[in-house]
Amino acid sequence: MSRPAPIGLLRASMVLLRKDLLIEWRTRARLNALVFFALSTLLLFSFALGPDTKLLERNAGGYLWLAILFASTLSLGESFRIEAENACLDGLRMAPADARAIFLSKAVGNTLLLVLLGSLLIPVMVALYGVKVVLGVEHVLATLVLGCMALAAPGTVYAAIASNARARDVLLPLLLFPLIVPALLAAAKGMTLVLQGDPMNQLKSWYGLLGGFNLIYWGLGFLLFPRVIED
Amino acid sequence: MNALTTLVVLGQVAAGEVGSGRITGGWGYVWVSYGITWGSLALYALSLWLRRPTKNLTAGPKE
Amino acid sequence: MFVFTTAVLPLLILVLLVTVGRKFAHVTMPIYALILLGIGHFIGLAVAPPDREMGDVQRIMYAHVPAVWVAMVALTTNFVCSVMYLFKPGWKTDSLAEASAEVGLVFGAVGVLLGAIWGRPTWGVYWTWDPRLTTAAILLVAYMGYMALRRFVEDPEKRAVWSSVVGIIAAVDLPIIWFSVKWWRSLHQVQSTPKTVDPAMQLPLRISAYAFLALAIAFIMYRYRIALAERNAEVALPEALPTDEASAKRTPGVA
Repeated sequence: MSRPAPIGLLRASMVLLRKDLLIEWRTRARLNALVFFALSTLLLFSFALGPDTKLLERNAGGYLWLAILFASTLSLGESFRIEAENACLDGLRMAPADARAIFLSKAVGNTLLLVLLGSLLIPVMVALYGVKVVLGVEHVLATLVLGCMALAAPGTVYAAIASNARARDVLLPLLLFPLIVPALLAAAKGMTLVLQGDPMNQLKSWYGLLGGFNLIYWGLGFLLFPRVIED
Repeated sequence: MNALTTLVVLGQVAAGEVGSGRITGGWGYVWVSYGITWGSLALYALSLWLRRPTKNLTAGPKE
Repeated sequence: MFVFTTAVLPLLILVLLVTVGRKFAHVTMPIYALILLGIGHFIGLAVAPPDREMGDVQRIMYAHVPAVWVAMVALTTNFVCSVMYLFKPGWKTDSLAEASAEVGLVFGAVGVLLGAIWGRPTWGVYWTWDPRLTTAAILLVAYMGYMALRRFVEDPEKRAVWSSVVGIIAAVDLPIIWFSVKWWRSLHQVQSTPKTVDPAMQLPLRISAYAFLALAIAFIMYRYRIALAERNAEVALPEALPTDEASAKRTPGVA
C-alpha cells in the first residue's frame, strides 16, 4: 500500500478555510453578530458626538475602523471558540498538515469576514454620516482589504492564545489594541483620504505603510503560530 | 503730540514686561518629580520584599 | 581624564559587582545603586547649573531620562529572553523574561509620568500626541497586557511559550509604531547625547543613569528570584511536598 503524500501547505489552508466558511455560511451566527454590533457602534458614535454631521463626515474614516476593530474582538474570539467543541483544535493539530495551514486559514477567514463587514458598513455610513466616496470603490476595497489583513493576522495569533487563558474576553483586546495602532492609524488615514479626496497624493504612502505592516504581521504570525497551538 | 507721548509710555511699559526668556521658579515641579521617582522605586522595592520567596514548601506559589 | 573616569569607572564597578562579586551581588548592588543615586541626584539638584531656557525645571532630566533609558534596556532584555526561550526552553530564561518585563514597566511608567510633569511648565501641556509620547503610551499598555497574560495563564509551559510570542510581537511592533507615528512633526526634543547636553549637566546625568541601571539590575535580580521560586513550586513533583507518616510509606506516583 503506497503512503499517502503529505498535503501541501496551501492546499491544507484552502481545505481548512473552506471548512470554516462553510460552517459560517450554514449558521451565519458570526456574521450576524458582527453586523449588528458594528451598526450599533456607528449609531453610538453619532449619538455621542452630536448632531453635527460635518464633524461626523470628516472623521468617518476613523469611526469606520473603530467599529471594525471593536467587532473584530467578537469575530476573532469566536473563530477559535468553535474549535473548542469536541476538541477540534487537537484533531486539526494531529492531522498530517502543517500547523501553519491553520494560521493561514484562520487569518484569511477572519480577513474575509472583516472585509465583508466593512463593505456592509460603508453604505450605512453614506446614509448616517452623509459621507461621499470621492475616490472610487476600488480604493475603498483596497484600503479595507489591507487594513483587515493587518488586523486579522496578529488577531488570529492572540485569539489562539486568549481562547485558552482565563478572562479570555478581556485578554484579546488588551493584547491586540496597543499593537495594531500603526495599522489602524494608516487604515483610518487612508480611508479618510478615499472618502474625502486626496489632493496631495498621500494615499500611496499609506498603502505602502499598510503593505509593510502586513508583511511583518503575517510573517511573524506564520512563524510563531505553531508554537502557540502546540501542546 | 499727546498720542506720541502715550505711545512712548506704553513702549517703555512693554519693554519692562518682557522677561529673560527663562522659566523662573518651578522647584515645585522638580520636587514632585523626584518625590514620585524615589517614592515609586521605594514602593516597588517594598513589593519585592513582601513577595520574597519563603523557604516553607507548603506555602503556595500564588496567594 | 575626568570624562573617562565618570563614564567608565562606574560601569566597571557595576560589571565587577555582577561578575566577580556575584555571590554578594544581592547586597552590594542595591547599596551601590543608592550611593550612585545619592551622588547623582545631589549634583543634579544642588550643584548643576539651571538650564538657559528651562531654568530649574530642567533638573527633572536627571530622573526622567535615566528612567526611560533603563526601561529600554530592561524591555530589550525581555525581547532577547523571549526569543531565546523559543529556541531553548528553560525556567531561568522564562523567569528572567518575567522579571525584566515588570522592571521595565515600572521604570517606563515613572519615566512617562515624569515626562508629563516636565511637559507642563515647558510645553504648556501635560501630554501631546507626538511620536515619542504616543509610542511610550502604547509601550506601557502593551507590556501591561504581557503581564496580564502571564497572570491569566495557569499552565507554566504554555505561559512561557505564549509570553515569548507576545513579547516578540510587542518588541518588533514598537519601532514600527515609532516610525509610523513619526510622519507627523515631533514636539519632543532631540535625544540627549554628549553632543546635545551641556558638559556641566553630563556628569549628574551620567551618574544618575548608572544609578538607575544598578537599581534596575538589583530589582531584576530580586524579581528573578521570586519568579524562579514560583516556577519551581509550580512544577514540583509530589515527592517534594512535606509528607506525614502514612504517606511516607506510599510509592510516589501511585494513588
